[in-house]
Amino acid sequence: MEEIKKGGLVDVFDLKNVDIHIGEIVDEGEEEEEWEPMGPHPMPRIATLRDWDFKLLNRYKPFYAPICDMCCLCTYGKCDLTGNKKGACGIRMDAQQGRMVLLACLVGCSAHCGHGRHLLHDMIKKFGPDVPIDFGPEVDIEAPLTRLVCGIKPKTIGDYDEVFSYVEEQIVQLADALHTGQEGSYMDFESKALHMGMLDSLNKEAADIIQIACYDMPSGFPGDGPDVPFVDVGIGTIDTNKPVIIVIGHNVPPSADIGVYLTENDLEDKVEVGGICCTSIDTTRVYKKAKIVSALGRQLRVLRAGIADVVVIDEQCIRADVLELCQRVQSPMIATNDKAMHGLVDRTDDDPDKIVDDLVSGRVPGVIILEPDQVGEVAVRTALQMDKKRRSLKFILSDDEFKYYVNDCILCGSCTLACPNGLYIGEANKSAAAGNLKPLADLFDICVGCGRCEQVCKKHIPIVDVMTKAAYPQLKEEKGRMRIGRGPIWDSEIREAGAPLVLGTIPGIIAPIGCGNYPNGTKDAWLIVKEFAERNYIVALTGCMAIDCALWKDEDGKTIYEAHHGGFSGGGVINIGSCVSNAHIHDATIKVASIFAGRPLRGNYEEIADYILSRVGACGVAWGAMSQKAASIATGFNRLGVPAVVGPHGVKYRRAFMSRPDRKEDWKLIDASDGSEVYVEPGPQDLLVACETVEEALPMMAKLCIRPSDTDRGRSIKLTHYIDLNQKYLSAYPPDWHLFVRAASDLPIATRNELLKKLEDEQGWKIDWKKKKIEEGPIRGYNPSFNPTNLERLVRGKK
Amino acid sequence: MGIEIPFDVASIAGPEIGGIAPPEVIGCYITSARRPLLVVGSEILRDNFFVEIAIEIGKKGIPIAATGHSMRGFVEKKYTENVYYYNLHELTNCLRDPNWKGLDGAGNYDFVIFYGIIYYYASQMLSCLKNFATDPLMRTVSIDRYYHPNARMSFTNIMPRMEDEYKDMLKKLVESIKR
Repeated sequence: MEEIKKGGLVDVFDLKNVDIHIGEIVDEGEEEEEWEPMGPHPMPRIATLRDWDFKLLNRYKPFYAPICDMCCLCTYGKCDLTGNKKGACGIRMDAQQGRMVLLACLVGCSAHCGHGRHLLHDMIKKFGPDVPIDFGPEVDIEAPLTRLVCGIKPKTIGDYDEVFSYVEEQIVQLADALHTGQEGSYMDFESKALHMGMLDSLNKEAADIIQIACYDMPSGFPGDGPDVPFVDVGIGTIDTNKPVIIVIGHNVPPSADIGVYLTENDLEDKVEVGGICCTSIDTTRVYKKAKIVSALGRQLRVLRAGIADVVVIDEQCIRADVLELCQRVQSPMIATNDKAMHGLVDRTDDDPDKIVDDLVSGRVPGVIILEPDQVGEVAVRTALQMDKKRRSLKFILSDDEFKYYVNDCILCGSCTLACPNGLYIGEANKSAAAGNLKPLADLFDICVGCGRCEQVCKKHIPIVDVMTKAAYPQLKEEKGRMRIGRGPIWDSEIREAGAPLVLGTIPGIIAPIGCGNYPNGTKDAWLIVKEFAERNYIVALTGCMAIDCALWKDEDGKTIYEAHHGGFSGGGVINIGSCVSNAHIHDATIKVASIFAGRPLRGNYEEIADYILSRVGACGVAWGAMSQKAASIATGFNRLGVPAVVGPHGVKYRRAFMSRPDRKEDWKLIDASDGSEVYVEPGPQDLLVACETVEEALPMMAKLCIRPSDTDRGRSIKLTHYIDLNQKYLSAYPPDWHLFVRAASDLPIATRNELLKKLEDEQGWKIDWKKKKIEEGPIRGYNPSFNPTNLERLVRGKK
Repeated sequence: MGIEIPFDVASIAGPEIGGIAPPEVIGCYITSARRPLLVVGSEILRDNFFVEIAIEIGKKGIPIAATGHSMRGFVEKKYTENVYYYNLHELTNCLRDPNWKGLDGAGNYDFVIFYGIIYYYASQMLSCLKNFATDPLMRTVSIDRYYHPNARMSFTNIMPRMEDEYKDMLKKLVESIKR
């Protein structure tokens, strides 16, 4: 019989008028090898991991702070739910909040799933489905989340079709639960949100693996990992004497094609390619001459500065008024994704000469080109011509214009009431009018770049432009450096770091991720990274925080990336990559459980999450979390047992997961060695919590890295940092530090006597001073063989 | 003075919105509390005066939950007697529970005063208490320079050029708290 190859054609007995559909073809030897026995929960459905969710939700009870007291989703309403009242359909305020959280996670998860699926379509079309997933000698466990959730070990990108099909089906089922007359329990809404978060993490991993495999992005080969090259960051790094292409979004194929076109036409040094948001990070992973202009927070201002000779958008985190902004500065725009078409005409497959001519002549403000491989030529040729045409245009205010506007301000305060950060812009204008530009220039970095102020200004002052003018001298000098996104953490690094992480001697993994809706500017992102890297934590960054922290330099003129190594070990500052790359942070914690502890991965989510929650001191921080994607990302981390801290704007997500250390019954774990029940210290105390200021967030993150499994040496290191950060930033001992002391050996040697005295005086603990031993007081004693779990089924032997 | 719209203009939650009141009225309202708590945020650190106001209120026997990094201000002033650091999110999580033992172990509070907290953070925490701390009802006021519709009573929006007036309001408020 004739052998059918994947993607091949076959002649079936010369049949005519017969349409035969062939589903999956199993090649000889391609049956799923028994690489690991299947675990209990492959491809979990909505209810499969509900017990695990409820374990989390009973300890970290959902906390709701409604941003709207009403429901207006059906025609019974609007319903007033204030005071936890029920609406006409019977839903209470708490369940309605859980519903809105699930909706946010649905949107976020769908964005990553849609992105990943889109990428898969494009890559299969370009390269075929058989692109191998081979990340080199340093990465054997290539797809930890895919193995863990789906029970699949992907060999080629085509294997991800099944993964996305699973996720898509689950998304639809979860979306169904949002309809009026479905779910009514806030706990079940949250369990569904946790399920959505887990799916989201899987989407991210799938998307990044596909693009790494197809574009040969850094992974586990020599020169990758800790040794990836550096890239320029900042508005000041863009050479505006050349034609400039600005790419915005998250989906890299169109930007990659720009790089290919420039390379093939020997134009790499003649055209600048700069990016905003995650596309910028991913573009630098495929095109080495690309630069990162800014994170999301500066999008409006970069576009208004008019540096782009052409703007190319793909998907996600693009301003809805991007076309209007481009028209204002005469930058033609190319939309490359059917999810963000902005009312333009689809010119895919049109003659490039005609498209370029239409764009350059201004006959159209922009075009849609949905075929990524057609974008490069049009973008580059348009930029080359527009550069000549736009060279004489100036978009930064003149000194006279600036003076006019700041003098025109009547201090009405409308801008302040419209500003997400409540900035007192009028007062800064007043200072500028008197000749002191500093207050206005200082606001530039704190401003989140939304532009709401301009719409309400009674004097029609272009406030964004005025602020940019005041800060222009600094902006021109904004020249940072960061490592390009390295993708997966190497298995060999996990082998080295796994034990110190679980034992606590590397005090934790800090993962700054996400958007730029900061309360007080980008410098806080830098401070978070600096503080923890200098304390020997592993700092693994993705997305906008990875970009923003690279804008600042230390006293030696080095950025935080230049001052620290890029390896997954203590003191490392690692740019993992774009938002989808942050799945590798999940993956690192999973690989600790797998490689270091030998826990089986395949279809075994619950056990691995239980391991991570009790043993892997990791803490995410989304200091400027803004989007629905950030909601689903954090929720995905939470289901896996990783806590996250958000900035103050994060309270607008409505929901947090916080425990109550004063409720002893919530802190009962099982010792898997003998099945005994053990009351433990509250570690981690919260799964999702907001801090008001960065000064408060720093000790909070240190606290959230404490785990019941810490050795005494590890605990003493973690306590040292927790106490020290409190003293440094809050000028006081943390009020709860004693909760984490199990024995005198948990206390740092240098301050042990002092701390023992405090425990005796302030907490009434009994201390044997001769033996320097705690006789009475702690929640529990230190037991080095304690094997903590929340899952009874993991108990190996009964007491 | 001021404008009767939320300081973050779109922060209109629903039909139940708190009123604007002068300092003397809010002071009397606080006086009526059985077990009040002053919740202080990091914005008090912008001027010693605001720390001193918090201490004045604390000296009237009202315990202080120092949130954010406001603790610094109390430590610098060497006033820590009835001041407890607490994360505001975690504190609000406790306040919504009638069975919480309070900062001193003597039980939950019936009245919370918000002061010196970033507007949108305070607004959301006030929303939580408005919606979920209802049995028994927890009364809330804001004495910040912002109008907070999620508090039962609040000052109006006060722009920086009226800072002296705001300081006078706080002085009057302290005077009118009788305990």
